[in-house]
This record gives sequence, C-alpha cells and structure tokens, in this order.
Amino acid sequence: MTVEARERPPSTAPPKGRSRRSLEAPQNRFRRVVLAPIIVYLAFFTLLPLVWVFALSLFNYSPRREGASIGGLGGDNPFVGLENFQQLFDFSNPSQLTQTFHTAVVVTLVFAFIVLPLNLLITLPLAVMIEAAARRLRPLLRTVFFMPVLTSAVAVAVIWQYVLNPQYGLLNGILTKITGDTTVISWLNDPSLTVAGVPVALLAVTAAYLWMDIGYNLVIFIAALQGIPKQLTEASLLDGANAWQRFWYVTLPLLKPTILLTAILTMISSFQAFDLFQVMTLGNPDNQTRVLPLDIFQNAFTFQAMGWAAAESLVLLAIVLLITLIQSRMLRSKWSY
Amino acid sequence: MTTLSVPDVRPETVTVVKPPRRPPPVGRLMLYLVLAIGGVIAALPFFWMVFGAFKTGAEIRQIPPTFVPQDWTLENFSTILNDPGLPLTTFYRNSLFVALTNVVVTLFTSSLLGFIFAKYVFRGRDILFWYLMAMMMVPPSVLMIPNYLILSKIGLLNNLWGLVVTVAVDPFAILIMRQFIRSLPDEQIESARVDGASEFRIYWSVVLPQVKPALATLGLLTFMFNWNAYLWPLVVLSENSKRTIPVILSWYSTQHSAQLNLVMAASVLMVVPVLIVFLATQRWIVQGLTLSGGK
Repeated sequence: MTVEARERPPSTAPPKGRSRRSLEAPQNRFRRVVLAPIIVYLAFFTLLPLVWVFALSLFNYSPRREGASIGGLGGDNPFVGLENFQQLFDFSNPSQLTQTFHTAVVVTLVFAFIVLPLNLLITLPLAVMIEAAARRLRPLLRTVFFMPVLTSAVAVAVIWQYVLNPQYGLLNGILTKITGDTTVISWLNDPSLTVAGVPVALLAVTAAYLWMDIGYNLVIFIAALQGIPKQLTEASLLDGANAWQRFWYVTLPLLKPTILLTAILTMISSFQAFDLFQVMTLGNPDNQTRVLPLDIFQNAFTFQAMGWAAAESLVLLAIVLLITLIQSRMLRSKWSY
Repeated sequence: MTTLSVPDVRPETVTVVKPPRRPPPVGRLMLYLVLAIGGVIAALPFFWMVFGAFKTGAEIRQIPPTFVPQDWTLENFSTILNDPGLPLTTFYRNSLFVALTNVVVTLFTSSLLGFIFAKYVFRGRDILFWYLMAMMMVPPSVLMIPNYLILSKIGLLNNLWGLVVTVAVDPFAILIMRQFIRSLPDEQIESARVDGASEFRIYWSVVLPQVKPALATLGLLTFMFNWNAYLWPLVVLSENSKRTIPVILSWYSTQHSAQLNLVMAASVLMVVPVLIVFLATQRWIVQGLTLSGGK
C-alpha cells in the first residue's frame, strides 16, 4: 500500500466525493496487467537480441557448430574478444572478409551520398510544381509519383531488371531508337563501366531506388507546402516577387526544418537499403554493389559467420546512431525562423 | 481582390487582368512539360511490366524490343496459374495471414500502450517510452541475427508466426497512438471512471471509438509494410509453401530469369491486385506517412 501511495501521480487531482485510493487502485491494477506482459515481451524480443548481438560479436560463432550451453557461445564457437572488430578496422588486412567489409562500407556511403542530394533535388521542385499545377490535375500527378512507394521493393527490382536488361530491356531499346544503332549496355553486370569513378551498376540500382523512393518525400513536402500560411506567399506577391524569388526567399526558408528532417530520414533509410540490391545484383559485379546490409545478410545466413556479421551490424548501428546524433544537433540549432 | 490593397505607387499590379498567382503562359507550359516528362518516367516501368506480361516468349526476346505487344497473349498467365510449383493461392494466404495478424496485433498493442503512455502517470513511464523510441533507431540488420537464433530456439523458424511474434510491439505505432490519445480530453475519462466504468471499458468504449481514423491509417500502413516486407521473411521462411509473396516473386524471377514474359506475368499477378487496394486507400496511407514524417 505504501508503494501504491508513492507511485500516485501528484498531478491528477482527486475526484470529488470519493477517496483517492479507491479510485486509483483499479487504474494501477489495469496498468500493471497490461505492462507486465509487454515488459516481458520487450525483454525477450528487444533487450535479449541487443545483448545477444553484442555477445555474438565477441565470438567466432557459427550456428553450424554445436558450441557450449549458453546460446551455443563458447566451446567450438570460441570467445575472441575484440578480434572481430580489430579485423574490421585493420586496413592492411588482406583477408577476404575484411576487404569485402571495407568495400561494403564504401559502397554504402557512396550510395547514401548519391541518393540524398538527388532525392531532394527531385522531390522538392517536383512538390512545388505539383502544387502549382491545376487543382484538378494534382491528385493524378501525386498518384503517379506515389505508386512506386506502394509497390513491393521486390517487384520494383524485378521490373527494373527487365527495364535494364542488356538485350531485351526498355532503356537500351529507347537508346537504340534515339541513336539509331543497336545499344547493348550491361547496366547491371559490366564492372568496367563507371561514371566519374562510380560504377554504373551502382548507379543503375540507385536509379531504381530513387524511382521507388521519391514519392515518399514528395508527399511529405506537399503536406509541408500546404501548411505554409497563404498570407506569406501573398505578401511576397504584393512586393513584386516572381515565382523563383518566392520559392527561394519565402518557401525554402519556411521548409527548412522539414527538409532537414527528411534529409536525415532519407539518409538513414538508404544506409539500410537491402531489397533492391539483393534481388537486382546480389552485390555483383565485383562487389561494386555490395552494400553493408547485404554483406551482413550473406555473411550471417549464406556463410553462417554470425559472429563476424554481428560485429559488422554493430558498425552499421554506430553509423546510424551517429547520423541520428548529428540530426538532433542540427534540428536543435536551426529551428528558428 | 488583393490588388485593392496595393498602394497607388505600383500601378502595374492593378492593370493585371488575370489573378496574380498565375505565372505567364510560357512558364505554365514549361511547368506542364516538365511534369508530363516526369510523370511518363514514373509510369513507364509499370507499363513495361504489364506489356511484358502479355508478350509471347518469342516477342519478348526480340531485338530491339517492342513496347506495346504485337500479338497479345494470355498464355503467360495460364502457364503460371497452372504451374504446380507455384500455388499462388497458398502464397496469397501466407501473405494475408501475416499482414492481417500483424495489423490486429499492432493495433491492439499500440492503442493500449498509447492509452497508457498518454493518460497514466507512473514511475518509469518516461524510461519505458524512451526505450521504445530508441528501439526505432536500431536497423533491422542488427536484430535480425539474434532474432533468427531466438526463433530457432523456440521452434518458430520456417513458421509464419515467426513473422508475427517479433513485431508484436511496434514503437512507431505506439508513438502515433499516444499522440492521438493525448489530445482526448481528460474529463471524459474521469467522468467514465466516476460512472464506474472499468479501465479496460474506458479504453474500449471511450478511447478507441475516438481514434478510429488513426487506427484505420495505422492499420493500412502496417498491412502495406508487412505485405511488402522482404528481408525478415527471407530469413525466417525457408520452404516455398510457407513463403510470402515478395520472397516467392524473387525466387521465381531467379528460377525463370530467361523467361521474362513469365516473370512479368508473375509480377502482375502478385502485385497488381494489392496495388489497386493501396491506390484506393492512398489518401489514408499518405496521411499516415506525412503525419509521422518518419518511416
């Protein structure tokens, strides 16, 4: 009972007529009955996996080997301490696993830093243009650009494989029509093709990814644009601002918080991109499209090197947390307008 | 209207005949041109898929490729529907089971927890809430390995329930529900209490009916997310008869990579029916996505 009394919220005023305790008891009971199973669940399916993944990263673990009693860790799956991490960050290490990991980190970073500016450069102007179009056309335009978001990523990957097919694909077909001679470019398979040092295969998957993803940021920007008070744009009209000035000096500054948040979310989700890469290229050619989530997946489930994959996944976690941290800093400092 | 308030120093604004919002015709034309090109690029791959599904095996291997089929055929669809190795109804049932079960479970847990986080004050509330929010930051690739091992220990690998138990508490859904329930007036809940309603009754008959729109939006998002999910189902389900549609589509496209007409017909059969449902409910999906601002 004393515990009960201490837990009592000081903020809720006691209802008139009845004693506080008799009314609060059922609330507390209800809350406990609900939260008890939830906390057990969270411990089992969120806390335990977190602890487990940290533990795994300290072992040379494969589910193929029996190992010791607790989670198969120990015994044939020996404890290696921080050796996995040492190898991950050993830049002179010639081992295949380490090299592939380094490649995967670079590919992931390149992918994320190409996706972000392109995504924003497409979605923001597109949102403004759609909002400037005739009212009756807007729903149709929105739907067209939003449809890929609703489509499963696997289907997107399968469709784009066909679009990019060297012999029978749409893209080479169009290029053949335009140039006049038969174009057979292996968009997804030729390791020798690069643009400004970036492999064409990676750019091809990026194109499919952008196609799939822009509708998402688009609707967010459209919503943000609709939230801008009419008086502000009208005021600038009266000052004689043209459309471009209106966008640059009124709309853009007002959208800044939204843009910043969207940029971070876009970046975080591109660090986790897996589906398109797994279906379209499987990391080929020559690991040019091997992103980190794909490398983790293959090491864990194809090669069953789960200790190593766990260590890799913690690096991914660190990257995502770092970006989140930077995000919260930026959001805090740039809110004012 | 607005021109009336313009001071006389700017006579040129008064002489404008059309409303000032409208850009000059050339700009207008450019706007629609850009939008049209963008729209065509966005829609083209869909047409490519649908047209490919109606092409014969010979036509799909034609160089240079045709865009619209020269002779339309339904053969690809009948091949797929009669393929004993590809029981589509089984895959649809698997996907539907996972998606619908997760919708029911997620809506129940998130509304209940949203109610508790919004309307109850208790020790440890903030810690628990922030723990949940922090879990949202953890990439799927991190929890995937230990969760796989947990499922293998409790015998839920290659079992559709394995796709349910791991996502029964959805932090994002809880956040949204808490936001909505917090805006409901406290007095309502208090007066229901005074009338002798049990806490569960208050949740069920006072809170839930008022957050129906949020439930509908969240339900749709959860359904779509689960329906399209690939990575986790790929990890958990190893037997074809247990697999969900995206996993099967990926498998089928690898198996028949030389018969693109069949792959496209399979994509159409697996994607288009649900896509129509999503398009019909697009408004709520967009609402859900914009209201969250997060994935």
